[in-house]
Amino acid sequence: MIDERIASTSRSAVSRRGFLKVTGAGVAGSSLLTMLEARQAPAQIKGTTLRILQWSHFIPAYDEWYDKFAKEWGDKNGVKVRVDHIPHLEIPARMAAEFAAGAGHDIIYNGSSILTRLYYKNLVDLTDVSEAAGKKYGGWIPSARSLVDVEGRWYGLPIFYILAPMLYRKDIFDANGLKYPDTWELARVAARTMKPKGHPTGIALAQCNDANLMWRSMYFSFGGTEASPSGDQPTLDSKELREFLKFAKALFDEGMTPEIFSWDDASDNRYLASGIACWIHDAISAYRTTEDTNPPVFKNTVLGLEPQGPDGKRVSVAAPNVWMVWKFSKNQQAAKEFLSYLIDNDLEGMVQSRGYNMPYLNDRYKKPMPVIGTDPKLQILQDFPKIVAFFGYPGPSTTPIQEVVNTFVFPDMITRYCRGMALEDAVKWGVGEYRRIYAKHKQA
Amino acid sequence: MTVSSQHGGGPDATSARAAAVSVAASPRVASRFRTQTTRRLAFGYLLLAPACLYVVLLVGAPFLFSLYLAMSDANVGDTSASFIGLENFRAAFESDVFLIALRNSIMFTIVAAVLKGFLGTTLAFLLLQPFRGKKFIRGLVVIPFTLPISISVLGWKWMYDSQFSVINWFLSHVGLIGSYGSPDWPVWLGQPRLALLACILVNVWRNFPFSAIVLLAGFTSVPTEILDAARVDGTNFFQRFRNVVVPMIAPILLIGFLFDTVFTLSDLGVVYLLTQGGPANATKILPVLAYQVGIQAGALGRGAAIALFLFPLLLPLMILLLRNLKRREY
Repeated sequence: MIDERIASTSRSAVSRRGFLKVTGAGVAGSSLLTMLEARQAPAQIKGTTLRILQWSHFIPAYDEWYDKFAKEWGDKNGVKVRVDHIPHLEIPARMAAEFAAGAGHDIIYNGSSILTRLYYKNLVDLTDVSEAAGKKYGGWIPSARSLVDVEGRWYGLPIFYILAPMLYRKDIFDANGLKYPDTWELARVAARTMKPKGHPTGIALAQCNDANLMWRSMYFSFGGTEASPSGDQPTLDSKELREFLKFAKALFDEGMTPEIFSWDDASDNRYLASGIACWIHDAISAYRTTEDTNPPVFKNTVLGLEPQGPDGKRVSVAAPNVWMVWKFSKNQQAAKEFLSYLIDNDLEGMVQSRGYNMPYLNDRYKKPMPVIGTDPKLQILQDFPKIVAFFGYPGPSTTPIQEVVNTFVFPDMITRYCRGMALEDAVKWGVGEYRRIYAKHKQA
Repeated sequence: MTVSSQHGGGPDATSARAAAVSVAASPRVASRFRTQTTRRLAFGYLLLAPACLYVVLLVGAPFLFSLYLAMSDANVGDTSASFIGLENFRAAFESDVFLIALRNSIMFTIVAAVLKGFLGTTLAFLLLQPFRGKKFIRGLVVIPFTLPISISVLGWKWMYDSQFSVINWFLSHVGLIGSYGSPDWPVWLGQPRLALLACILVNVWRNFPFSAIVLLAGFTSVPTEILDAARVDGTNFFQRFRNVVVPMIAPILLIGFLFDTVFTLSDLGVVYLLTQGGPANATKILPVLAYQVGIQAGALGRGAAIALFLFPLLLPLMILLLRNLKRREY
């Protein structure tokens, strides 16, 4: 009876337009899957224009390669490709403007601030592209899904992330009989020993991206979490948070200077390159900067795996980078084609970025990886994918966590404590801000 | 019972009555437009219309739209929003970061206004004096005001760098502070009070030429005979400035002050590029917080509510200044 009713409803609901829509979508979907398999662009995209909004990469050579790569793909497929570069901090504003106008680029880049959950209703479902890539390259690393998944669908395509390992001065460690910083405790001992000798350490404790990333790595390695696995609830208030804060303050008092309160994302690069820092915790841009500006220091700089917390846990918070396609794009098929082609060539992107761009696909980690697999000092980076996490760990990249990150609540809480606020007052402030932000988003 | 049935007429009767009214009224309207006064009045309104339209479209509409956003749960990723009354304003007051930003905004504006007033006046007086290369110097003076903010602030960021600050190296070389690493080595953007002062100084550096130019225009409009007469009466420089120059150029001063206050209070660039509001919100001002919450975090409604707090801050000041200005016109 029920079946009959459903059948009759279905029959009456199928109009000519509906039928055309369903069959059209089916044909388009299956042809796309076929083409993704065969890596052949469809004829329909010929003569179209694809506009891409891209950040200005820290490695300028990567931008040059990317522009050329996109143009060559366009030439091959008869698509006119235009790539615009803007600073990554301007992307949220540009995205808001394009969404409000319902016009702009077809493909849009997100770096660090991943706004998938904010815009997913207006983004193209890229599940087919991600599934095809996952199938082809041995699946995605565990943390990739948390960035772009909304209700089981992928509304973005993770393209690479930026690691932040330990960078320490082997010559200083050896000369002072210090053990390499494989644990946060050893890193603290080194900083405590070296600060009086003119070689303190530093992790930015200002309102910059580094402050958001680096201190979270330490906190998560101490067993702390930021949100529930579903991402609905903040989970900051914990014993682990208090232990971490005590450790962070001790590390600051014993091994850092108040300079860190003024730092931006490039300050620690300069700190290492100037020969002062005994260790820093940063992206390999610091290593590259030192290579170019201070060869003797570069020669003695070694990269280490993320230090372990008190219980042996290692969590490395990385800066994610994701591509999205607007639903208002008139060239969604070309956008998907281009992204598939880009992910096929992400190892070339890794080479062009001098090992900066770390891929999300498992098969890419077959040793030796390009650039980092051939440089003995960088080889350790190949072991990072299993410990990589992002903001909101262990939950996904939700809208409340983006507000927490963008208003720098986490580093501000540490700053307050390091500047003399009582531990419980700092915790109360930080936890209060998390709860207030999560409550606001839940209400909305 | 409807109106038309009461009068016993249908649609035709109604239109006939309307036509009769129109015929009866038209000679009156025509005669009204016939007089020269009314024609001039209509022409005046016609000339005024573009300005009114400009104000309504470019000032009124965005203001009303931001008011609507502030009273809704709008976010950047959704075209629809629900009305939530004053909830966003209440939420702003619940956050101590907002209160810090409010306090900083007021302090920033007042200190910057005082410094710009002092430096602008001094510079304007200097530029009044006859000297060789005066035109060239006048051109140089406006450079900070005309430079793109991102470039000039980047320069200041380097000058305030914790390690390579040229200011610190100079102070260290002349013996006013110790060497790098010593406790008295200032960390310009890392110490809360110093960081706010550093941001204010950049705002002052960028905008005091504007104050100077406004004042210079005012000073040159004061007739020299009046100043000479005051001099003959035995007044000194400060007496002439206070009792002769200032009252005469007060309208220019007030308008300049009004513009400067609006520019300073809504200045996002300097703080955002120097500190993003850090350390620990010590330099956070309302425009930066509104941008971070409204655009970067996507909570458009709350961001708009934070930005709208600039309005009640400015409104009393604007009313006072404009009233004062109007009084002086009569």
